Amino acid sequence: MEEIKKGGLVDILDLKNVNIHIGEIEAEGEGEEEWEPMGPHPMPRIATLRDWDFKLLNRYKPFYAPICDMCCLCTYGKCDLTGNKKGACGIRMDAQQGRIVLLACLVGCSAHCGHGRHLLHDMIKKFGPDVPIDFGPEVDIEAPLTRLVCGIKPKTIGDYDEVFSYVEEQIVQLADALHTGQEGSYMDFESKALHMGMLDSLNKEAADIIQIACYGMPSSHEGGGPDVPLVDVGIGTIDTNKPVIIVIGHNVPPAADIGVYLTENDLEDKVELGGICCTSIDTTRVYTKAKIVSALGRQLRVLRAGIADVVVTDEQCIRADVLELCQRVQSPMIATNDKAMHGLVDRTDDDPNKIVDDLVSGRVPGVIILEPDQVGEVAVRTALQMDKKRRSLKFILSDDEFKYYVNDCILCGGCTLACPNGLHIGEANKSAAAGNIKPLADLFDICVGCGRCEQVCKKHIPIVDVMTKAAYPQLKEEKGRMRIGRGPIWDSEIREVGAPLVLGTIPGIIAPIGCGNYPNGTKDAWLIVKEFAERNYIVTLTGCMAIDCALWKDEEGKTIYEAHHGRFDAGGVLNIGSCVSNAHIHGAAIKVASIFAGRPLRGNYEEIADYILSRVGACGVAWGAMSQKAASIATGFNRLGVPAVVGPHGAKYRRAFMSRPDIKEDWKLIDATDGSEVYVEPGPQDLLVACETVEEALPMMAKLCFRPSDTDRGRSIKLTHYIDLNQKYLSTYPPDWHLFVRGASDLPIATRNELLKKLEDEQSWKIDWKKKKIVEGPIRGYNPSFNPTNLERLIRGKK
Amino acid sequence: MGIEIPFDVANIAGPEIGDVAPPEVIGSYISSARKPLLVVGSEMLRDDFFVEIAIEIGKKGIPIAATGHSIRGFVEKEYTENVHYYNLHELTNYLRDPNWKGLDGEGNYDFVIFYGIIYYYASQMLSCLKNFATEPLVRTVSIDRYYHPNARMSFTNIMPRMEEEYKDMLDKLVESIKR
Repeated sequence: MEEIKKGGLVDILDLKNVNIHIGEIEAEGEGEEEWEPMGPHPMPRIATLRDWDFKLLNRYKPFYAPICDMCCLCTYGKCDLTGNKKGACGIRMDAQQGRIVLLACLVGCSAHCGHGRHLLHDMIKKFGPDVPIDFGPEVDIEAPLTRLVCGIKPKTIGDYDEVFSYVEEQIVQLADALHTGQEGSYMDFESKALHMGMLDSLNKEAADIIQIACYGMPSSHEGGGPDVPLVDVGIGTIDTNKPVIIVIGHNVPPAADIGVYLTENDLEDKVELGGICCTSIDTTRVYTKAKIVSALGRQLRVLRAGIADVVVTDEQCIRADVLELCQRVQSPMIATNDKAMHGLVDRTDDDPNKIVDDLVSGRVPGVIILEPDQVGEVAVRTALQMDKKRRSLKFILSDDEFKYYVNDCILCGGCTLACPNGLHIGEANKSAAAGNIKPLADLFDICVGCGRCEQVCKKHIPIVDVMTKAAYPQLKEEKGRMRIGRGPIWDSEIREVGAPLVLGTIPGIIAPIGCGNYPNGTKDAWLIVKEFAERNYIVTLTGCMAIDCALWKDEEGKTIYEAHHGRFDAGGVLNIGSCVSNAHIHGAAIKVASIFAGRPLRGNYEEIADYILSRVGACGVAWGAMSQKAASIATGFNRLGVPAVVGPHGAKYRRAFMSRPDIKEDWKLIDATDGSEVYVEPGPQDLLVACETVEEALPMMAKLCFRPSDTDRGRSIKLTHYIDLNQKYLSTYPPDWHLFVRGASDLPIATRNELLKKLEDEQSWKIDWKKKKIVEGPIRGYNPSFNPTNLERLIRGKK
Repeated sequence: MGIEIPFDVANIAGPEIGDVAPPEVIGSYISSARKPLLVVGSEMLRDDFFVEIAIEIGKKGIPIAATGHSIRGFVEKEYTENVHYYNLHELTNYLRDPNWKGLDGEGNYDFVIFYGIIYYYASQMLSCLKNFATEPLVRTVSIDRYYHPNARMSFTNIMPRMEEEYKDMLDKLVESIKR
């Protein structure tokens, strides 16, 4: 075959039986800009960062708590693996747990990748591939994860095609490893899970960057960042005297089209557009008249309350029985994503008049419209007509119905056994029957809204409706406010806080993220934010926790967003955005390493993760983590060196990453300045750990912000909060506080003498009382020039 | 002994499930331990009675690991002598290691009693010990008001209306622990 050289000429008329494939066209002068030398690991493959993973996994050894003792994935099985036995294929229980964790991360990562790719397709179709990625004057590093992982500096949304192609290929390779007869080591399964988590963080960044660029969502252009507006949150904020459209899911284009239709037709004040879960957060980023009805945890109850005249679903976090729920309250449903079609008929490109007519007449319970730009008209016109039709319908139980049901309860306890939180529903019913509805109303917020109780009730009591009825007076008043998602943290903000974060004088970044499977209701989300914001941590929220914390108010009647500023600075409370926006929290940590410390970014994941692990006091908290996405999100944070705390339900993820402070060898770091080995305090002690209650979680989060690089002033501030939070919530000193003391200057000045005395009495440390110095006892002394690393290649000069 | 459904009804782990047993049997089982540990969680704080039960067990020479925020109950009662705060996840991570030195620095435990811990969290930690603390074996019991299939032995499910009966069971259990 004749090879055609670049610039060569071939007479096409002479060619026969030839297929011509045109690959990427590179115009002259349009090659990759040399913005930074390429680092060692661009687009890492499965094994590329395995050494880094093993450094993490050898310190934070995988801990497994199986939720099922068997494997039933092939026809050899079921195999009983109890007691770490091997199954027929040779896999042991520990490896099987690692395998299931990888599977969970695969599902989560695929959800974000699928979402991002879907968004890219829609946006390119709508706007073309050349939409510039320009986040304004305060953001130069527009895509920290993309630069870090892929070595690409994206200029337009079209550049993300290559990024998704990389992720998709890696996902397939990782999925392959799950097959029977492939991987057999739990450590390697976990390395693969960490790889999947990293890919997931990249997906999220890509998805959010694409939607910010295309929809003009807040960034550092005027009105963005700390100055983003507040929007209404809560069931009580929806005006049910107007037609109501409820959007559910994570992929915003259909909801955005509804906003456009309302605006173009002057219907903004005539129709309520509310949302549940992340689509609602993203809708407010493009249409600020939208309202956030609730987080995921209340989806069932919002739908059953019948406030929606139309329900529009896209993808992720939609109840599998959503169509049935809509039919029950006569709300037509529009499914807009091929990943969640719910058995409906695809009416994309059909005449909108016919679709609206079919929905309003009830001839069909719902339709599929896969073209986002066709959704707005159908949804709004349907809502306008359904509002009139549904106005007389009531879906909240009458007083008589309520009385009947609570009296009908036979206290069999079946609902309690079915309830994820073991709630004592029967007893609350009995109290209500006796005239006291408070116990039942109080359960409303603690209930995670799954509806399993109704599935087992022998008397067929609609328990969810009964609980909603009891709580209805409070629900009508549920009116919070939250900042709309601000997107990326500004480079200029990082320049301001990089030093205090690394030195420890801003004690940490606390990142409440994720779902609403809380052990004890939404108020815990508020308490976590309040406690750390008041202590001058930086609190960065995304997803359901960003919504749930906005439902509660302080003594002055202010929500947490109203009580605190929105800057990325001490005491700030920032709604970063939806689930995909939490990539900007990774991004903030990466920018600290890049902007403040000047570490090279491009294709340099290992070094940046090493920097973050040792120096950036950040801790995620997914207090109600429920989904596979939450598993991959946390695992992505972990690979980057950021620990995470989960609520007690998080123990059901089967795997944690916890260290052993009592094993000295696990805490050996290298001083990059001279290559010397240094034994350090356990900071951070864990990468993934569950706490039983919020009272326990608060001091745990403070503990996980310790880093070996803390200056003495920073350490004394962190120690102050760690001790104080223990005393406040656990009524005692933390048993391990002394581990974090390197010298007297690490101790808070106000309590220095008291703490020195405790060290002398309880830990037998030697104290020079005249000089107020510690003579003997700490793991190491404080060395202000300590340059901690886990990577030998970063040693600057041998001792 | 008998068969019971798990408190969280779908929490059926596999072929090896624990026995339901009355307090005297569990008490006797605890008495057979060489080095037992009482692990207490925050549900204990719902009533002073339950804190007193833990203290009574502690007074029989069984050290207490207070998880969650249960330590508050012991501080309020000024009983802190052999009580140590631990996060339950971290504690279980220690317990699965035969080389762990224990709270007293003298070695790991051969027997763990779970008490006052949120059901599903306790169940997962019991699952870890069942599957990975096997050489040497760490035996586990739960004395909560739940049937725990991942413990070797536990009470039956006790509905809230049976609270007084549960309290009687705990009294009998304490009485039957001989050390």
